[in-house]
Amino acid sequence: MALIPLIAAAAIVFGLVLKGIDRIVAARMQARIGPPVTQPFTDIKKLLMKENIVPRNSVPLIFNLMPVIALASALLVILYLPIAGFPPLLEGSGDLVLVLYILIFPSLAMVIGGFASGSPYATVGAQREMVTMMSYEFPLAITAVTTAWLVSSAGHAASFSLYTIATANVWALVGPIGLVGLLLLFIALLFVMPGELAKIPFDSAEAETEIAGGLLVEYSGTNLALFYLTDAVKTVAMASIITAIFLPFSIGPLFGFAGNESIAAEIVFYILKVIAVVFVGTTFARVAIARFRITQIVKVYLGHTTAIALLGLALVTADVLLGGV
Amino acid sequence: MFEMAKELLRQLFKKPATNEFPAKHAPKSVLKLLEKVSKGKARLNPPIPVPEKFRGKIDYDRNKCIGCKLCIKVCPAAAVVFQEKERKIKYICSRCTFCAQCVDVCPVNALTLSNEFLIADYKRD
Amino acid sequence: MRLSRDKNSFKISVGPVHPALKEPIQLNCLIAGEKIKSVDFELSQAHRGIEWIATRRNPIQILYLAERICGICNICHTISFCTAVEKIAGIEVPARAQYVRTMGAELERIHSHLLWAGVAAHELGFDSAMHYTWKAREKVLDVIELLSGNRITKGIPTIGGVRRDFEEKNHAKIIEAVEYYRSVFGKLKAIFLDDPVIKSRTKDIGVLTKKDALTLCAVGPTARASGIARDVRQDEPYAAYPDFGLKAITPDQLTGEIKGDVFDRIVVRLLEVAQSADILEFCVKNMPGGKIVYEEKPIKLLAQLKGVHGEATGRLEAPRGEVFHYVKLVGEESPYSWKVKPPTYSNLLPWIPMLEGEQVADIPIIAASIDPCMSCCNRAVVAENNENVLNHDMLHRLSVEKTENIRGQLA
Repeated sequence: MALIPLIAAAAIVFGLVLKGIDRIVAARMQARIGPPVTQPFTDIKKLLMKENIVPRNSVPLIFNLMPVIALASALLVILYLPIAGFPPLLEGSGDLVLVLYILIFPSLAMVIGGFASGSPYATVGAQREMVTMMSYEFPLAITAVTTAWLVSSAGHAASFSLYTIATANVWALVGPIGLVGLLLLFIALLFVMPGELAKIPFDSAEAETEIAGGLLVEYSGTNLALFYLTDAVKTVAMASIITAIFLPFSIGPLFGFAGNESIAAEIVFYILKVIAVVFVGTTFARVAIARFRITQIVKVYLGHTTAIALLGLALVTADVLLGGV
Repeated sequence: MFEMAKELLRQLFKKPATNEFPAKHAPKSVLKLLEKVSKGKARLNPPIPVPEKFRGKIDYDRNKCIGCKLCIKVCPAAAVVFQEKERKIKYICSRCTFCAQCVDVCPVNALTLSNEFLIADYKRD
Repeated sequence: MRLSRDKNSFKISVGPVHPALKEPIQLNCLIAGEKIKSVDFELSQAHRGIEWIATRRNPIQILYLAERICGICNICHTISFCTAVEKIAGIEVPARAQYVRTMGAELERIHSHLLWAGVAAHELGFDSAMHYTWKAREKVLDVIELLSGNRITKGIPTIGGVRRDFEEKNHAKIIEAVEYYRSVFGKLKAIFLDDPVIKSRTKDIGVLTKKDALTLCAVGPTARASGIARDVRQDEPYAAYPDFGLKAITPDQLTGEIKGDVFDRIVVRLLEVAQSADILEFCVKNMPGGKIVYEEKPIKLLAQLKGVHGEATGRLEAPRGEVFHYVKLVGEESPYSWKVKPPTYSNLLPWIPMLEGEQVADIPIIAASIDPCMSCCNRAVVAENNENVLNHDMLHRLSVEKTENIRGQLA
């Protein structure tokens, strides 16, 4: 249990570094230099020094409580995730379904905080965030359940545990049809990632040119810093889930590392995998696509993404039932 | 379709278009950086050279001036003030809009254009 | 028009300070869910009293004041003012000066339209396209700097001609820029007109029908996108435009149909960038020789203008639409009256039919689609409640108090 603060601190630092890398890569793609990689740390430092302004017509208790809950729940998710192939700290006391539930918490906290701030912009933002949440949950759930079912049908016990899924390596359990199916599920999950993290093109809940930051419009100072950290930690969490399910490969056996060397290599490889996932799922998506309208978000998630996920589900099912042809 | 995405990937591997003047990133302390530069320890990236017709800060040659007040008549920003006693003018750079109308109108070329444009300062004159 | 609210709707104010609006204007929208039920806007949040200042300045000084009405279309306001004064005084502008003015105006049009395209992309949350178009805009700014010495406010036109010549030795650079924009035009077309997300966010959004555009007196690209082939450069050619024989651009020249939506406004502006490149090339190839100004000595000119009486108007096509200046000289040093009608003023009312029935998410892009320039059209300010009006002395006192306060906190 002494590891908990350590993991929390590591997740926050890693999340902020990821944000820094994300900003540099985005800037380079737009032919800009971009900020130094330490910029998110500077931002946090500055926000923590700033005054915490609570609007007059807000509900102060809820308004101030929600950022704390958001960060706490985001950190809690991290404790349930297998990182770099190691079993999660809270292994056995919760599984994938729980992770999916806790993952909603930060968004939900933002919605409640937005409603509590009493600004019409935040209200519009909160409504949009709820709609977005409801839309992306379905493809996310399909992906999670399919992989869990696939692992259980391969004879593994405790198939809803993320650690079991990660060690089982879903790609090894299927034949060619299933491979296509898994690839589709992978794509569906990458689609969900920017929505989950409220990034362009799915950021209409925050949309700074439309509703001036939406949910976060009234937040400032420490409260905003906490939401900023939540976002950083959520990026790590979401990328880790994708890595655990679809990129569970380890590098140790390939080069014949052992002992401490192997641990270090795994961690470095994990970091690289997460950076790659964040690049595809967030950075590239947010610079290459314009922002969707909320109606379009629903269409993309409940239409296209769900269709992709369902097709993936069907293919994986067919593959398993036909015995891995 | 998705022309932008292709262009973005192309730009990822190209040099950024930003002109790194005077430094790539904002320094922690500007004064310390300037101190370092004056000691020769750091280097500032030079600005892009100005074009031939550039209208920068106006140089005033007090000796040539005959006090005809024509520049005051055409200056749109009241950046030129007449000094009654000496019958000369005073040029106030912080008001200047750099239209160079006074330079065009001066009969004795006492006012000339310079290439200087780094004129931000803590003091008004 | 006042907005009345009921149980199912609430009011949301966009502006006067809002990240999507670069200038102060307040759009009061009554919304139900995501749908806009009705719109009202409050103008004149940045009154600068430019016309009042002008009645205390001589025409040479007003040139630079006119230039500062609008930062982007500065040369249009200056030329428009010059035209009016020239008409009153009966001054004939040399042919070469007319060509220089035309080239200045067309360089500015490219600059303005690319700037707008970037802003529009930013409103859609597409910052990459913004950075790309603004990178392309650098080229025209470099050319303007080379030709005039300044990047934005050119200070080129003067009454009776121009102040700086666009010499032949610099023409190669202009042609280079023309070629660059022809090559960039294809890419911009692919980025803005073929992108599926931009298409879905702009097609059939903010529709202004031809009838509405005519009733509400829309001008410039806003009107042309609705199918009104009206352009001052075509209808009443001035400067070098009679030689070029310009045809007004309507979106059907590229897409084959006229809808009057935001997408059509993008099409019109992009086509005008290509058209401006053509005009520039034409001007470079056909530039006549001779003087560039009617009277080289400004003081002599001022003396001449002091003796004339009369009133006249100057109108021309700015990047945003028709600019209209009215000047009255009564034989004094300063004009008796100067009235400016910038294009945005005519394009504001079409906002209402464009915005009604659309979604909240579309407010920024629709508002931006007319390329609004709010500070340009602030001619008057109405103070309804005198308690809230701060004059110079009060503002000065408040800022001194604030400084003292901060000083006290620091000590």
